[in-house]
Amino acid sequence: MALRVPEPATETAPPVRKGFTRRQALAAAVATGVGVGAVRLLGGTIQNITRSGSASGTDWVSPLSRESARVAQLLRRTTFGYTQAQLDSALSDGFSKTVDRLLETKPQEPPVLAAAGTPGGRFSPQQLQQWWVDHILTTSTPFAERMTLFWHGHFTSDYRKTGDNTFMYWQNLTWRRMALTNLGPMLLQVTTDPAMLRYLDLATSTGQSPNENYSRELMELFTMGAGNYTEDDVRQSAKALAGWQQPPPDSIATVTVDKAKMVTQKLPVYSTQKPGVFNPKRAYKGTVTFLGKSGSLDTQGVIDRILAQPATAPFIASKVVEHFVTTRPVKSYITRLGDAFRQSKYDVKTLMRAVLTSPEFTADGSYRALLKSPTEFMVNGARALGATNLGKLIVAAGSGMGQSLFDPPDVGGWPNNAAWISSNTVVERVNFVTVALAQSKASLPSSRDAAQQHLDGVLSPQTAKLLTQAPDERSRWFVTLASPEFQLK
Amino acid sequence: MSKEIGINQLKRRDFLQAGLVFGAGAAGLAAGYAAVPDAFARAVYAAKQNGVANDNVLVMIQLAGGNDGLRTLVPLTDPTLHDLRPKLAGPMVSQALPLTTDFGLNHNLGGIKSLWDKGKVAIVQGVGYPNPTFSHFESIRIWETGDPTRRQVDGWLGRTLAKAYDSNGHPLTGCACGATDVPGALRDLQATMTVIQNQKTFGFSGGSEVEAAVGALYKGTPGIYGALFDTAIATANDTIATLRTSSASYQPMADYSDKVQLVYSSKNQLAAALQLAAELIVTGTGVKLLHVTLGGFDTHYTELNRHDDLMGYLDSAVSAFYQDLAAHGKADKVLIATWSEFGRRPKENASGGTDHGAAAPLLLIGDPVKSGLYGAEPSLTSLDATGNLKFAVDFRSVYQEILGSHLGADANEILGASFDRIPFLNAPVAVA
Repeated sequence: MALRVPEPATETAPPVRKGFTRRQALAAAVATGVGVGAVRLLGGTIQNITRSGSASGTDWVSPLSRESARVAQLLRRTTFGYTQAQLDSALSDGFSKTVDRLLETKPQEPPVLAAAGTPGGRFSPQQLQQWWVDHILTTSTPFAERMTLFWHGHFTSDYRKTGDNTFMYWQNLTWRRMALTNLGPMLLQVTTDPAMLRYLDLATSTGQSPNENYSRELMELFTMGAGNYTEDDVRQSAKALAGWQQPPPDSIATVTVDKAKMVTQKLPVYSTQKPGVFNPKRAYKGTVTFLGKSGSLDTQGVIDRILAQPATAPFIASKVVEHFVTTRPVKSYITRLGDAFRQSKYDVKTLMRAVLTSPEFTADGSYRALLKSPTEFMVNGARALGATNLGKLIVAAGSGMGQSLFDPPDVGGWPNNAAWISSNTVVERVNFVTVALAQSKASLPSSRDAAQQHLDGVLSPQTAKLLTQAPDERSRWFVTLASPEFQLK
Repeated sequence: MSKEIGINQLKRRDFLQAGLVFGAGAAGLAAGYAAVPDAFARAVYAAKQNGVANDNVLVMIQLAGGNDGLRTLVPLTDPTLHDLRPKLAGPMVSQALPLTTDFGLNHNLGGIKSLWDKGKVAIVQGVGYPNPTFSHFESIRIWETGDPTRRQVDGWLGRTLAKAYDSNGHPLTGCACGATDVPGALRDLQATMTVIQNQKTFGFSGGSEVEAAVGALYKGTPGIYGALFDTAIATANDTIATLRTSSASYQPMADYSDKVQLVYSSKNQLAAALQLAAELIVTGTGVKLLHVTLGGFDTHYTELNRHDDLMGYLDSAVSAFYQDLAAHGKADKVLIATWSEFGRRPKENASGGTDHGAAAPLLLIGDPVKSGLYGAEPSLTSLDATGNLKFAVDFRSVYQEILGSHLGADANEILGASFDRIPFLNAPVAVA
């Protein structure tokens, strides 16, 4: 666990430290753009493109001057990968039209999860995970799922503490519907979301004895970032936010929880999705001083004050950039995006359009600057193989790579990029490929163009060598999907 | 758990099927690349170190979320506690296991209490740092880096590894057990960390041919993640080879099964993680620094049952771990220390829980410790402006003692300053 949203890098390169290990030299060389010399595989032949440079590190040679590479990168970052047909379709539309299509197509709703009617939401988390993964695998609007995953990691909750998987299901439906809407209504929604009411304890907070958990994370993790409010602001907004409770159920079911001992329990049953309800009797009656202003304040008032803070727009912009563009944004980029976001009155679609169409998104320096999350990696792999039967494997394999859906490590959501790499996770990633290929009984798609389609033909010498040595179709797919290139986006 | 098939259950069957992947061509794929190096020998080498002559081991247990110090080491005679915690104080005081007239352990820490009775537990009270932050993430970072000014980026154990033990990057000198990512305390660009979530399933499906092919695939990888990838794969391969040897020679001599059902099922299997730690220690892999995590301590809500259960879960895992080490004759080498980003607010909230706090006690367990209470009792009547306990001992004093007097490393170099000494060790080793 670490701070999830780092300070944007300054415009200048970091100072070079003495006593470099090979590993540091490599990282520094790449970061400062010194190191060069890499290998491309173009149309099945290996070209060694070496530029002068004394550092030991090498960087990928960016192919982003080509429209086709820009489109492929766009899809890798905004969807969960592609089949050949999906790539061909986007390539014929071109970059701009593909951005429009991603942003303007209405999200396809997932099928109704019948288990959501289970009293108390007591169905298995695997059922919930399976339902979502199957939808991610088959949806016609994968960008909506990518954004839903982004918000699931941002306004996060886990099934363990929430203790009601119907509420977790609702939260997922909510982020899909609101993914490209507006931050203000999203903040009101997350504050009154039944899963969140439990996950961060707002449902048990009262004006008389407020619980600070939600109040703190609303500012620290959801909107402004640490350092932009005081401890007193946390306490004051905890008072102002108190009073929300879980929605009343549509009925109560008596369920036998222990047959042997004849233990029964009364559990809530919901037939439709509902937000939390406000109980004025539990609210705080007095005035508060919050973020520099005094007066009586309700939940909407708290949200309005947060939206009026200059820290909020760049905080969200910075998080989006870390997930979609680069881990090392310059300050001016974040400022520019934050300004556009705030001027649009926090319209998420405006922010996403600004991000996807920014020169930074397709700059050579952003090529392979991000690491696919475990879910992205696995679904990308399944799509590349044209396999639709890997849902169960994807659900089971995520935790060893550090990502189990509906079960983030903590309230900060999932870490990203470099934090996905460890001796444990790399083994699990390779194992996924091995087992996915073993489970793909049906004939595999031809691997002839795989390196071009999925890796832009930009290969490390090792990947190129192993691909040419691979004796058969399965081996070539193994090398392609287990390669470092395929982990990146 | 469902009956769905996970990767690891498939492993054996897929060995055969994965043969399809590498069948006849496997030798060709891996040709020209050296076999996996003898990780076992390399790890043993790592234990013989620049200036650090002893073979002591440190195991840090993170109690993630902010452990309630007042429910861990309970003040027995302070009436203010009942004013601050009308719901929580009664049972915790009446059931506590007395250590002294004024303090007792949480009633679910019976195993640790019996270690106390044998003189193997030191407790440092009132541990914290100036101007505390109440953010989980900021405070975790401060404890992980050992730097309240937040300038340091590398973890204190990562720096220890890089500076004192292993500048050449041998795997398994530092290891996070039961995790999937490198904990911040162990992070350092110049050190190689091993991460093993589940020892039983750690390894490549498809076996040594996949290992060799992947080792060949991840070499000289370009880009900002290249070295991280290559190191992770090399570390994994070395670790797999080492575990193959160690698992064959290790028999657990304690019952590591979970004896407590947590209110919320745990993401971290603490006992299993400590069992892996024991295996790495007793089989002489050369491991020096181990890190395990138990989450769930952010008890804003219904703390009574939840915190008691966590204490019991911790107690049974630590007791088994100590027993296992002792039975293998290694208990004299191993210091176990808990840490948590902060304690909790002395005053309880309306949810039957407590909000984020500041100073808290830290447990040090094992044969190396000199039993007793250290530091100073935090006052319940003189709280700080946020209503929290004032710290008496800088957490880096504890780090300093661990680094200098247990591990024999240069604490001043690693921490960048020196702090008041807390002499909680029996036989402090001389710093080289």
